Amino acid sequence: MDKDNLLDIIELRTHFFVRDWIAKAVDNVSITLAPGQTLGLVGESGCGKSVTAHSIMRLIPQPPGKIVGGKILFEGKDLVQASEKQMRKVRGNRISMIFQEPMTSLNPVFTVGDQVSEVIELHTNISKKELKNRVVEMFKKVGIPDPEKRPHEYPHQMSGGMRQRVMIAMALACNPRLMIADEPTTALDVTIQAQILDLMNRLKSETGAAILFITHDLGVIAEMAQMVAVMYAGKIVEYADVKTLFENPRHPYTIGLMKSIPVLGNNMGLARLQTIKGSVPSLFNLPRGCYFSNRCPDVFKDCMTTSPQICNISKNHMVRCLKYA
Amino acid sequence: MLEQLSQLWRNKTAIAGLIIIVVFILVAIFAPYISPHDPIETSLYDQLKPPFWYEGGTTKNYLGTDDLGRDILSRLIYGARISLMVSVISVSLAFFFGTLIGAISGYKKGWIDNIVMRMMDIILSFPYILLAIVIVAYLGPSLKNAMIAIGITYVPRFARIVRGSVLEECEKDYVTAARAIGASEFRIIFLAILPNCMGPLIVQTTLNFASAILDAAALSFLGLGAQPPTPEWGAMIAQSRSLILRASWVMTLPGLAILFAVLGFNLLGDGLRDALDPRMRD
Repeated sequence: MDKDNLLDIIELRTHFFVRDWIAKAVDNVSITLAPGQTLGLVGESGCGKSVTAHSIMRLIPQPPGKIVGGKILFEGKDLVQASEKQMRKVRGNRISMIFQEPMTSLNPVFTVGDQVSEVIELHTNISKKELKNRVVEMFKKVGIPDPEKRPHEYPHQMSGGMRQRVMIAMALACNPRLMIADEPTTALDVTIQAQILDLMNRLKSETGAAILFITHDLGVIAEMAQMVAVMYAGKIVEYADVKTLFENPRHPYTIGLMKSIPVLGNNMGLARLQTIKGSVPSLFNLPRGCYFSNRCPDVFKDCMTTSPQICNISKNHMVRCLKYA
Repeated sequence: MLEQLSQLWRNKTAIAGLIIIVVFILVAIFAPYISPHDPIETSLYDQLKPPFWYEGGTTKNYLGTDDLGRDILSRLIYGARISLMVSVISVSLAFFFGTLIGAISGYKKGWIDNIVMRMMDIILSFPYILLAIVIVAYLGPSLKNAMIAIGITYVPRFARIVRGSVLEECEKDYVTAARAIGASEFRIIFLAILPNCMGPLIVQTTLNFASAILDAAALSFLGLGAQPPTPEWGAMIAQSRSLILRASWVMTLPGLAILFAVLGFNLLGDGLRDALDPRMRD
């Protein structure tokens, strides 16, 4: 464990308790993030990416969810043990979050300017006039045209891309050290997606904030992240730097994901796109042994009974698979 | 919002209701200037004078006098003041506590919600006028206590509506976003969620104004609200009911006043509901 790390998540376990069932949405997840680094968290829907992010912010609805174990060390302090009051000082200020749906993440009855200034008001003591200037400055920073006038508009008067820019302005308003982006471009069309990603990269280099980037789009990861963690059914199955992961994926699940990306111009119409057979198992009904065993192309006998541990196969490359154990 | 206002504007019955309410409020505010007589001054020589369009009626008392010679028009005008005050105060009381209770139990859910809403169910399970009578009987009959009683019996109506809206709003992303920027629970409930629940609340408030006027009149009719010689519409009906065959106007006119005030608020309330509820829109 490096002392200089901004974020150290150690064996985090977040479970959901539904009647007599336990869904282990996050199961022994360990990730680290250095200042100014971008970590991509990839996986299918329901694999626990968002729950991991919400756990860091302690936004898990409780009940039914609960962080049952592990540590989230942020700037040396354990957020799992922090009081609600301490967390309020962290949220929006030291760690901020960008959501998937810019259409619904803004409060419809307030102007966007009010919503950006609310964040600043909550965490700093500045005068009304300075506040107004800060809001205009933030709008300029995230590339909203006409930054003097747009703060007076309501969310429904803006397009999806503009609203996501407002969300980014809110997230960056207090110069956070960590920004959690929970699929920030999923709801946007491709051109706007590229603009938003460029903007995030630019602002990251300006502010030096680290980003935890959650997505299911491997293309986005390649563009944004330095480190990548692939999640499957609540566990991290492969964890490597972005170059290693794309050049030399080792876990059968990651390999399957890579193969299922369509390549433009490459044997178009000749070969069918490869898929991973089956679908993600329900968290209430996981296979014994390795959770991927029922879909794995390389499955062998031990996979059905033994749960694999994550292990280093080279520097900066960890895989959870019995093939490499 | 503008769209909803224009929707309301096109609704003729709602506008009729609005006009009635505006007239009602103006009469209440300017009562001392427009009433021709003192509402509680008796006159032995002018007992049971009929309204001017009856035989024997004069323009001295446009709407006649009651059995003590008090001018009915003036009493009705001052009565508007009392009805307005009763409805504003009792509905505000119910609005404040109902919204508070409903918002907290809708946001907190769990056992708090369970206990509080079961209490509301208990209050609702009584016929509300009976409950109001019990409360007034306990506190002692007076207009102030009638307002408190009506306020208490109306709390569950607001609490339930607000709780329902809050439960629905809680699921929306902007609430999580508000938590993610470090807003306190108080701020999230009252400054982020509640403004989004205003539509049904406005409708409920308007409709409750109407029933508050009616209930206050009912309590006064039973002798549990306004006490004589206060010119309260319900009390006026109660005091003159033995005269209905001899001088029907003494009882009919305050009845009509109640009818129009209640009608006005109900028409406006229905219009607002049509305008604010997207499901009712054509």
